[in-house]
Amino acid sequence: MKSLIRILALAANTFREAIRNKLLYTLLGFSIVMIGAGVLLATLSYVEVDEILQDMGMAAIRLFSSGIAIFVGVGLIHNEVERRTIFTILSKPVSRGEFLVGKWAGLTFTVWLQLVLMAAAFALVSWLAGAPLAAPHALAIALIGFELMVLVALATFFSSFSTPMLSSFFTFGLWLIGHLSRDLYLLGQQSDQASVSRLAGALYAVLPDFEIFNKSLEAVHGLPIHGFEIGFAMLYAVGYSGFILVLAAAVFSRRDLK
Amino acid sequence: MSGTGRAVVHVGNLVKDFRVGFGMRRRRVLSDVSFSAFEGEIFGFVGPNGAGKTTTLKILMGLIRPTSGSASILGRNVAESEFRDQIGFLPENPYFYPFLTAREILDFYARLSGVETRRRAERVAELLAMVHLDYAADMRLKTFSKGMLQRVGVAQALIHDPSVVFLDEPMSGLDPIGRREIRELILALRAAGKTVFMSTHILSDVELICDRVAIIVKGAIRRQGRTLELVGDGTSSAQIVVSALSADAADAIEAGFSVSLRGSGDRVEICTEPKDVEEILGIVLRSGGRVIEVKRLSQSLEDVFMEAVRAAEGDR
Repeated sequence: MKSLIRILALAANTFREAIRNKLLYTLLGFSIVMIGAGVLLATLSYVEVDEILQDMGMAAIRLFSSGIAIFVGVGLIHNEVERRTIFTILSKPVSRGEFLVGKWAGLTFTVWLQLVLMAAAFALVSWLAGAPLAAPHALAIALIGFELMVLVALATFFSSFSTPMLSSFFTFGLWLIGHLSRDLYLLGQQSDQASVSRLAGALYAVLPDFEIFNKSLEAVHGLPIHGFEIGFAMLYAVGYSGFILVLAAAVFSRRDLK
Repeated sequence: MSGTGRAVVHVGNLVKDFRVGFGMRRRRVLSDVSFSAFEGEIFGFVGPNGAGKTTTLKILMGLIRPTSGSASILGRNVAESEFRDQIGFLPENPYFYPFLTAREILDFYARLSGVETRRRAERVAELLAMVHLDYAADMRLKTFSKGMLQRVGVAQALIHDPSVVFLDEPMSGLDPIGRREIRELILALRAAGKTVFMSTHILSDVELICDRVAIIVKGAIRRQGRTLELVGDGTSSAQIVVSALSADAADAIEAGFSVSLRGSGDRVEICTEPKDVEEILGIVLRSGGRVIEVKRLSQSLEDVFMEAVRAAEGDR
C-alpha cells in the first residue's frame, strides 16, 4: 500500500510537471495542426473521400502521439539523473523500481491526455468534413493508447541507462520493428529451414508487436473489432510494459548515480 | 553528548573505484574509509574539492554502490530503501522541478516520505515558515534564487522529521544571515536529539558547531575525532604579553627557555611552551615587569586541515 502511494505521488508529480511544460503544448499544437491539415488534404481526393480522410487522421494520430511519447520518454530518467532531481527522491523511502514505475505511469497519463485531445481535434475536423467518427474509431484510438503505454515503457527502459539521443534511436527503431515483427514472424514460418523459423519465433517472442494495437483499417472500413482483440491487446500492453519495466528496474538498480 | 551514544552512521573500510575512459580504467576515489557518527551529535565531514566527500555521501544515500566495505545507517544496510523515512538528505546545490511551487514540491516529498495525509498540509506550512519561505510558498521554483532553493532543500530534508540528517554543503549559496540561520537550525536539530552529518568546506562553521570531525583527503580519512581534541592536540605554545621587561630579564628568558620575543617597552610578546609559563612569569615579575595577558595559542581547525592536506601530499 505504501509502495502504491509513492508510485502514485511520483506519477502525479510527473504528470503535473509535464502539463506545465510549454514545450509539450507546442508539440501538441503542432500535432493537432498536422492532423487537421492531413485530414483536410484528404478531402481533395476524388474517390473514397471519407475512408482516406479517416485513414490519414488515424495514421497522423498514431505517428504524432508516438513521436511525443518517444521525444519525452527518452529524457524521462536521464534528465532526472543529469539535473540531480533524483537524489532527493531516492533519499526518501523510494526504491528505484518504484521510481521508474511512477515516472512511466505519469508520462503514460500525459500522453493519454494528449491522445484524447488529438482525437477530439480529429473528430471535430472529420465532422466538419462530413465524415463523422463512430464507436469503432474510438476503440481504435483507445488501442493506440495501449501502444503508447508500451512505447513509454521502452523509452523509460532506454532512458534508464542511455543518453536521450541513443534512447530515441533505440526506441524509434523498436517502434518501427514492432510494426513489422508480425510480418517477419510469418515470413520466418514459411522458411524451409527450421533454424530460421525458430529464430523468427524467438525474435517475435522478445520484440514488441505493435500491430496488435492497430485496428485503424477495421475502424475506417467498418470491419468488426472483436472484444477479445481489445482484451488481448490490453493484456499484451500490461504484460509487455511490465516485462520491460522489470528489466529497466534490474538495470537501473545496478547503476551508479554519479 | 557526542561520541557517547550508539553509532547511527557507520562506514567501515569503504572502497570505491570508478571506471573511466574508453579503456574502463579503474580510478580509486575512496580507499579504506572508516568512521562513525554517534546519536545526537553534529558530525563534520570535511575535505578539499575532489577528496571523496560527496562520493561517501552518495554511498550512504544508496545512490552509488561501494566497490568493497560496508556502510550502514541506524544499523541498516544503505542499499535498503524502507528505513529512509528516518533520514533526511540535502544534496549539494539541490535542483528541483522548476514548474512546481515550493508548497507543491514539499507536499510531494512529504507523500514520498509517508507523512500522514491529515498532517501533510500543516507540516508543509511549518517547514516553509521554518526556512522563511512562507511568503514564496505558491511561487514556482524556476523563479527562486540559489539561496531560496537551498532553503527548499533544507525543508525537504526535514519534512518527515527524520532522526538522522545528512547535509552536503548546507551553507552553499546562502548569505551571512542565511548561514547563521542554518547554523542555528542545525544546533536546534541536535538539541532535539537528532544526529546531523554535515559535509562542508567552511571550516569556521565546523569549528563552531560540530562535535566531531573527520577530515578526508584524496579518498582517505586523515584525521578524525572530537573537534576540541583535534584543535587541542595542536596546542604547542602559549603567549605572555608583558610591559617594562628589563634587558636582563629578557636575556635570562631567552637563555633559559625555548622562546621567541617580539616587541619592546610597553608591549613585549613572549611565545613559549605551556610548561614554561609559570617560570617565565616568575622571572618577569621579579625583575619588575608587568604581566598584561597570558593565553594559550591553539591550532585552528584550518591548521589541522592544512596539516592533513600536506601530509596527504607527502604520501603521494
